[in-house]
Amino acid sequence: MQADYAPIILTSLLCGLSAGFLMHRSDFCVTGMFRDFFLFKDARMLRVLVFMVVASMALFHVAKVLGLIAHYPFPLLGAMSLTNILGGVLFGIGMVLAGGCVVGTLYKMGAGSMLSAVAFVGLLAGSAFYAQIHPAWSALTQQLAVFGPGKTIPQALGLSPYALIVPVLAAGGWLVWRWARQGALVMPSYAEGYIQPWMTAVLLAGVGLASYIVVGMPLGITTSYAKLGATVQSWFAPDHVASLSYFQAQGLKYVPPFGDTVITGGAGPALDAVAAIQYPLVGGIIFGAMVSAVKLGEWKLRYRVPARQYVSVLIGGILLGLAARMVPACNVWHLWGGVPILAGQSVLYVIGLLPGTWIGSVILARYVVRTA
Amino acid sequence: MVAQASDVAQVLEIDIRGQICPSCLLIALKEVNQRQARLKSGEEVLHILTDNRQATNTIPESVGNMGYQTAIEKIGGYYCIEIRK
Repeated sequence: MQADYAPIILTSLLCGLSAGFLMHRSDFCVTGMFRDFFLFKDARMLRVLVFMVVASMALFHVAKVLGLIAHYPFPLLGAMSLTNILGGVLFGIGMVLAGGCVVGTLYKMGAGSMLSAVAFVGLLAGSAFYAQIHPAWSALTQQLAVFGPGKTIPQALGLSPYALIVPVLAAGGWLVWRWARQGALVMPSYAEGYIQPWMTAVLLAGVGLASYIVVGMPLGITTSYAKLGATVQSWFAPDHVASLSYFQAQGLKYVPPFGDTVITGGAGPALDAVAAIQYPLVGGIIFGAMVSAVKLGEWKLRYRVPARQYVSVLIGGILLGLAARMVPACNVWHLWGGVPILAGQSVLYVIGLLPGTWIGSVILARYVVRTA
Repeated sequence: MVAQASDVAQVLEIDIRGQICPSCLLIALKEVNQRQARLKSGEEVLHILTDNRQATNTIPESVGNMGYQTAIEKIGGYYCIEIRK
């Protein structure tokens, strides 16, 4: 490891710890926010999510105006393709069946959920399996490319970012201000140590900003699932892992804000830039949630649940891992990273996520949680 | 404080600890609907045991809208949500 990695590893670890702690306290489950909207017509937490996106958008662009942002748009974003939507649909189904998305699974596992631990194993398997279909999927992605090479909507339209960011921010800000005045962002709370989700939303937007300033991009963790999956696979089949092009590719290549050399990383088993950025984040979220649960006396390994729920989270986890590579990336990356800068992939992903969550909710209510 | 068995005719305990979200709310709503008559008459109260923090506000909210009273108590690392007429 080079010295350049120290600020990255430390920042990612602190971001992960605080995010895990906050998410557990507020039960800040993005899957639940979308799912409960479709299942129970309950939009309260979805409003909090919108607030977080708007807050991130404001923070990122204030930081950009102040010259604190080194890369805009940030690394790892690609051009738009209809496969972003398809990936979003699968991601939505997978996250509902898994009982949490790529990040939600981590904080729930940290708090002692055995189901989430099984979903985590599924996520690793699904992410690593993606390498098998990567050549075909990336060919399809190129065939279904839309709106040219621009990575953000303003770029694709040939506009300055502010030409769209300012009106969107104004509309979003007005909406959030109205909800705040109606008290629609406040949740009644009975759980011990509860932190109001709107407060967590603000703090998480700040965590995302810290990552953007120091690491050079907002929070992202999904490549590390493929990396961890590839690592496990390479213990049993090293030659096979080495033969897959996806594990050779170095998708990340940039000069970090507090460094002067180019660092690179990919989904292969190597301890590279992706490992330095994402592994501390993953570990931090799990541990942060564990600390929160232990402090409240709520940490307990719970595994006695109906068998069909184990089947659901395993299938959901595999689907989620696979989809996270197909999209590419996840709720956290797109909702509090990409959408705030109007990244095209992120907007397309959300368009797919909505019907996907609805389909997942129907399957869950019909086949997994039997109430008939 | 949630009621003890002696206070009422019958306490039905439903344990949803560790289950996938949103089992808590779905199962609570199912039980409430199935036992509507006994709950409304006061013959029975429901105790939902959950470790899901979110459920401590979604269940009282939903069954509250259906006209039931709720009480929540933390017992040794999990929550007991009481639903009664």
